Amino acid sequence: MSLLANYDWSLIWENKEDLLHGLLVALEVAAVALVLSVVVGLVLALARMSKPPVSWIAALYVNIFRGVPALVSVIWVYFGVSLLLGINFTVFQAGVIALVLLYGAFISEIYRAALQAIPRGQKEAGLALGMNPIRIFARVTLPQATKIAIPNIGSMFIGMIKDTSTFTVIGLLEVTRVTQNLNSTTFQPFVLYTAAAALYVAASFFFDFVFRAVEKSLTTPPAGGIAKFLTGRRRRRIEFVVKDLEALSGRT
Amino acid sequence: MSSSSTAGGWRELHLSLDTPWAEVHHADIATAMRTRAVDTSLGEETSRTVSGAAPRTSEQTSRAVVELRGIRKSFGSTEVLHGVDLVVDPGEHVVIFGPSGSGKSTLLRTINLLEEPSEGSVRVLGVEYGPGLGSNERRGSAIQLRRHVGMVFQQFNLFPHLSALHNISLALRSVQGIRRREAEERAAVALRQVGLLRWAAHFPGELSGGQQQRVAIARALSLDPEVMLFDEPTSALDPELVGEVLAVMRELAESGMTMVIVTHELNFAREIGDFNVFMDQGLIADSGPRGFLDRCDNPRTRQFIEAVL
Repeated sequence: MSLLANYDWSLIWENKEDLLHGLLVALEVAAVALVLSVVVGLVLALARMSKPPVSWIAALYVNIFRGVPALVSVIWVYFGVSLLLGINFTVFQAGVIALVLLYGAFISEIYRAALQAIPRGQKEAGLALGMNPIRIFARVTLPQATKIAIPNIGSMFIGMIKDTSTFTVIGLLEVTRVTQNLNSTTFQPFVLYTAAAALYVAASFFFDFVFRAVEKSLTTPPAGGIAKFLTGRRRRRIEFVVKDLEALSGRT
Repeated sequence: MSSSSTAGGWRELHLSLDTPWAEVHHADIATAMRTRAVDTSLGEETSRTVSGAAPRTSEQTSRAVVELRGIRKSFGSTEVLHGVDLVVDPGEHVVIFGPSGSGKSTLLRTINLLEEPSEGSVRVLGVEYGPGLGSNERRGSAIQLRRHVGMVFQQFNLFPHLSALHNISLALRSVQGIRRREAEERAAVALRQVGLLRWAAHFPGELSGGQQQRVAIARALSLDPEVMLFDEPTSALDPELVGEVLAVMRELAESGMTMVIVTHELNFAREIGDFNVFMDQGLIADSGPRGFLDRCDNPRTRQFIEAVL
């Protein structure tokens, strides 16, 4: 206790705005990157499940970028692309691209496993009904695969938030960079980095809750208050159609 | 349906046969088929199906709903169908039975090209869809074919993420391009036909196996197929749930639907089968008209029937 009392914990409260702003930046980068990663991941998963030349390229990509650390990725994108191609990204753009390059590869593997877990009979049922393959994918296979993939995508998102900490190196003002800046004037690393850790953990808890709610809403029948709210309209519409028909058949 | 209207249906069919098949509108065929099928149950003199064992001439098969000729199918280097012919006439109920691995499911699945035959002709409503026998024949696309053919699977294959109603309305919207509201209304009508209107908002996971299979039947029927294929529809069901599914199928058969049924329920087969096919080792080993299950004298067929019944 006395040990902890020797530190100036009030620093956290005094700099709460900077720290929270840093968290916000981290979350923004991660959120934009998540959306793009899911799109890239899905395309990669389909490429990897298709015929050889394409599937080899996709597999090569996945294996390379799963192995690259976020720090290296962002330095490539920010400095490397600038040197080689003369394209200068903002730090925000570079952070997003660096994450998408890595997490697109991870999420493609998540989606590949999820798509392969859908029984063959689902696609066959769609075909037998005369649905075209694109529609079967969009309305039958993909929704079921997404339900399977959601928990793992949630874990990936928490990983993405943590990986934004390496973007300190290009000067993105996220939590870790803010912490470093504060530390350079106050010399209280223990206090400040503990606060940073707490913010990351809080974000992790929060998004675990969010993804759990999404997961619940995708169960059949949907469970949880949020899900009931979201699917209530659909359910009421079914009840309406059914009542309509019952009334009609009652009359005849 | 009254007998006078069925007589009209007969004439309509014969008239339409004078015109080239391709010009006949499908709706006309459907009407003619349904009404003719009622005839088969009314009087034997109007029906060809009683003479099913006799070789079928080309004149007879020209109005067939399904014509398979010389179907061969290989998986890798293993050939599982060694040249099978099968003709299904309008309103006819064909039952296919035989030991597992005999190729009966594969044969059924070639009818809607879920299995692409390696060789042979798949003709549905006079249009060639398979590899074909002649090289210069115009072929329909698999999607067109499947829009005339409904299928019910052993494992139901309902979409688990959609309610019973939306399982049906998705099919209607996707295939017929109708609006959501209308699709849902028609889906509700289809559910009512199988006695499951009350379960419209329930998901497949909340339904019993028998109920799921009835939804699957309703889903296939909602698209107005000309022929229904059943691939062991009761094999995955608890024994006590088999009856409700068979009842729906019986009703469908009585309404005149053309049906091809792969089943192990030989009592049901005996009751419903206008034409019975015994498959063994990738070939039609034996076949015959109504009463075949009691009268056949092929020792292999007899042995199988006695073992199952």
